[in-house]
Amino acid sequence: MGFLAPGILAGLIAIGLPVYLHLLRQHKTTPRPFSSLMFFERRVQSSIRHRRLKYRVLFALRALFVALLIFAFARPYLPFTSVAAAHGGRVIALLLDDSFSMRQDNRFQRAKQDALSVVNGMRPSDRAQLISFGGPTRLLTNLTADRSTLAAAVNGLEPADGASSYAEVARAIRSLTQSSKTAVEAHLFSDMQKTSAPANFADLKLPDGAQLVVHAVADSAIPNFAVENVIAPRRIFSAKTGTVQATIVSYSDKDATRRVTLLINHHSIETKPVVVPAGGRATVEFTGIDVPYGLNPCEVDIDSADAFPEDDHFYFAVERSDPAPALFLHEQNDNRGFVYFQTALAAVNQPAFSLQNASYAQAASSSLDRYAFVVLSEPAGIPHGLEDALHRYVEHGGSLFVVLGPASTGRVPVADLVVAEGNSSPRDGGFNFVARVDSTHPALRSSTHWDSVRFYRTESVQPGAARVLLSLDDGRPLLLERAIGEGRVIVLASALNNIENDLPVHPVFIPFVQQTTGYLGHTESATGNYVAGAFYDLHPSDTQTDAPVEVTGPHNARLLSLSESTRARTLPLEQEGFYDIRRQNGRHELAAVNPDRRESDFTVLPPQTIQLWRNTGNGNRGVENDSDGGRGGNELWWWVLLAALAVAVAESVLGNRHLDLKEGT
Amino acid sequence: MQQFLDPVVLASISSMDLVARTVVDGFMAGLHRSPQFGFSQEFAEYRAYTPGDDLRHIDWNVFARTERMFLKRFHGDTNSQLLILLDASGSMSFKSGAVSKLDYARFLAASLSYMGSAQRDATGVIVFDDRVRNYIPPSSRQGQLVRVLHAIEAAQPGTTTDFSKPFLHFQQFLHRRGIVAVISDFYDDPDRVIGNIEPLRYHGNDVALFHVVDPVELEPKFTDPVVLEDMETKTTLEVSPEYANNEYRARFQRHIDALRTAAQRSGLDYTMMDTSRPLDQGLREYLTLRQRKM
Repeated sequence: MGFLAPGILAGLIAIGLPVYLHLLRQHKTTPRPFSSLMFFERRVQSSIRHRRLKYRVLFALRALFVALLIFAFARPYLPFTSVAAAHGGRVIALLLDDSFSMRQDNRFQRAKQDALSVVNGMRPSDRAQLISFGGPTRLLTNLTADRSTLAAAVNGLEPADGASSYAEVARAIRSLTQSSKTAVEAHLFSDMQKTSAPANFADLKLPDGAQLVVHAVADSAIPNFAVENVIAPRRIFSAKTGTVQATIVSYSDKDATRRVTLLINHHSIETKPVVVPAGGRATVEFTGIDVPYGLNPCEVDIDSADAFPEDDHFYFAVERSDPAPALFLHEQNDNRGFVYFQTALAAVNQPAFSLQNASYAQAASSSLDRYAFVVLSEPAGIPHGLEDALHRYVEHGGSLFVVLGPASTGRVPVADLVVAEGNSSPRDGGFNFVARVDSTHPALRSSTHWDSVRFYRTESVQPGAARVLLSLDDGRPLLLERAIGEGRVIVLASALNNIENDLPVHPVFIPFVQQTTGYLGHTESATGNYVAGAFYDLHPSDTQTDAPVEVTGPHNARLLSLSESTRARTLPLEQEGFYDIRRQNGRHELAAVNPDRRESDFTVLPPQTIQLWRNTGNGNRGVENDSDGGRGGNELWWWVLLAALAVAVAESVLGNRHLDLKEGT
Repeated sequence: MQQFLDPVVLASISSMDLVARTVVDGFMAGLHRSPQFGFSQEFAEYRAYTPGDDLRHIDWNVFARTERMFLKRFHGDTNSQLLILLDASGSMSFKSGAVSKLDYARFLAASLSYMGSAQRDATGVIVFDDRVRNYIPPSSRQGQLVRVLHAIEAAQPGTTTDFSKPFLHFQQFLHRRGIVAVISDFYDDPDRVIGNIEPLRYHGNDVALFHVVDPVELEPKFTDPVVLEDMETKTTLEVSPEYANNEYRARFQRHIDALRTAAQRSGLDYTMMDTSRPLDQGLREYLTLRQRKM
């Protein structure tokens, strides 16, 4: 048995208190002179003896109570090793590395063979669980003594494209230790990559009594070259304007020349040689590339001249399109807001959107589905038909940007937010300024210096269920977002006409418009590169929807069932390649997934580090300090506290009896 | 004047002569010339001289007229002897307050001797424990009071109490009738105590037993178990508060009752003297006995 807080045991000195009360205070041995003892009899002594005996019981109870209380606070525990010894069999964790690097040569086969050897060596009383950690930790079997189940699970395992993490291994061992209540014998089958070790060694801490057996399938680094990264525009709006920049990394101790090839739609476009320094990086740039309209799967390859060709290519996607149309709706005689908004939108080299303006009356009969987003400038009494069309447009995934003005009273169209009256301006005729910015929102992620913008008139919108992105100094919301169906509505509570505020002439205006329109027009997530193991957001809004999403995986297989396509919130991108995502509103997205390039570094962990890791499970018994709250054994403080309570009750009863005796006499 | 009889006040007076004078004068002043008490110098009778009588008591005027010797006797000096038996055993040194039992007994003995001397009684004292420690034979000669008071003041706690040996010794000296005052804590069997004192009564003496008791002896107050040591035998015993509060008090009270009963049965006067109370009760007892002698 051990103690988690052994320092508290110093409190056992407190037992001296009952010792003092019973022995030093009660048993005064100094005789008191008395004139004569002729009226005292010898039998009196036996009476005192009897009483002393009772007091000794009381003393024992009091001392026991103090001792139990101190023991409880010292947090005693039984080490799992003791529990395991009582149980009889071993608990074995088979931790199999199925990360991307295990694809090299026959590493994974050797790891599986080693795992099968351990399974075959199990005693009948032993129980084991197969866990893979190439990416997220997966429990492939229950804790079982059935060797055939374990062997089948091992044989059925294939290497994945994720990255391994030994911190996850340690966490899995701690979790298994907690659930099995016994010391775990962990067998690790891995290539022991150095890049899989966490930055903080404490994350590798094994629980008390855990025994780590490492079955390394690689003992030294091998030279390797890989395409580490590709920087390419997600969208190209005009011909021969794209530039692709690829980074080639060397994990070799010799300089080497590699031929780098750009492929678009699986066709080789251009090849360039590059000299990669030993242990360094080299960059290759392809300029003036021309891609056809639509989503194009692209790839950068290097010539395969190392022992690990799986990382010699890098996938990415480029979309060629015309700028997406967007609609700016305003009152017939007011287009000041449109001028400022369009200017800000066109302030970049290749604007992603072509902004069209129209009055509410003109837009009443037009179709909205083709617009990436719609802006409502200072809406006041827009036609019901238009509002219904806008509502349908948003519910099916469209985006709406509502800019409120002085005429916007009552409620916000589509967003269904209440606009209060009468307190839209500061009382003293001054101005408000922005006091709180939700910088986690994509529309505000890199826009700063909001505090210098003056808002002379702001409509008071009651947020309701909407998310407040900007707030004024008097607490009123300035920018709100509300998800409706598949779409989203952003409401700005002040106009963009440079009259009610000076936002349009402030530097923050352009990034705000760019990011907000990018967010509303979904240009942020239309195409993108992901690392294997990441999750793709299928339904961004929190509302329940039945709009299906069709996902085709790298091997042209549909990844979601019909029910999953309507209810799944996220999609794990586990395999290398392209994921084709099509939504009901016609939006088409292409996600390129590449393995984590840390897997390309085959440098192995030093043996000393492995030994240190193994020692974390043997030393420092009784003191656990991991972040998961794991403990070195079965804690007993609760039972000790119960015992202390029982002793306290007994002491109270006995003490009351003595008190009664005293009062009676 | 009552305060001068308070034993605590008397304890602050160093001279035993002054103690006795203070007590007796204070006591007598408080009597307001009672017709029943007090020593009187009124003429009582003439008695023919017989050899052995003190020549100082001869009325020489009658001798001159009649040439016969007569003794002139007064009411105040009809008794002739007061013998005080002072117990100086170890148990008498017990005290719970400012005055020990022996101190109290000395005050009482001194006061009695002073009073007796003032009435021209032959006053003597015997200090004893298990044997006779000091003996001043009764006498009414000049300086007797000083000798008696000195013997009383010099009395120190001795060993155990044993009434048999000293009282056997007393009987050899007591030839005249008188008053015998026994001042003791009587820590012995009541029958044995009375059995030893009773023979004094046969000689025509009036015997008064002054039982000196400390308040703690009457009502011990222990809250915790204590170890008590006998001041005479030095033996120790553990005593519980329950026993001291119940059994002991009952036994001690039975002892007092038995002593009083045995004394009354044998014609002895018994007075219990609480050391926390004034001395007047003892003096009043003496005067009552003396009145009875008149």
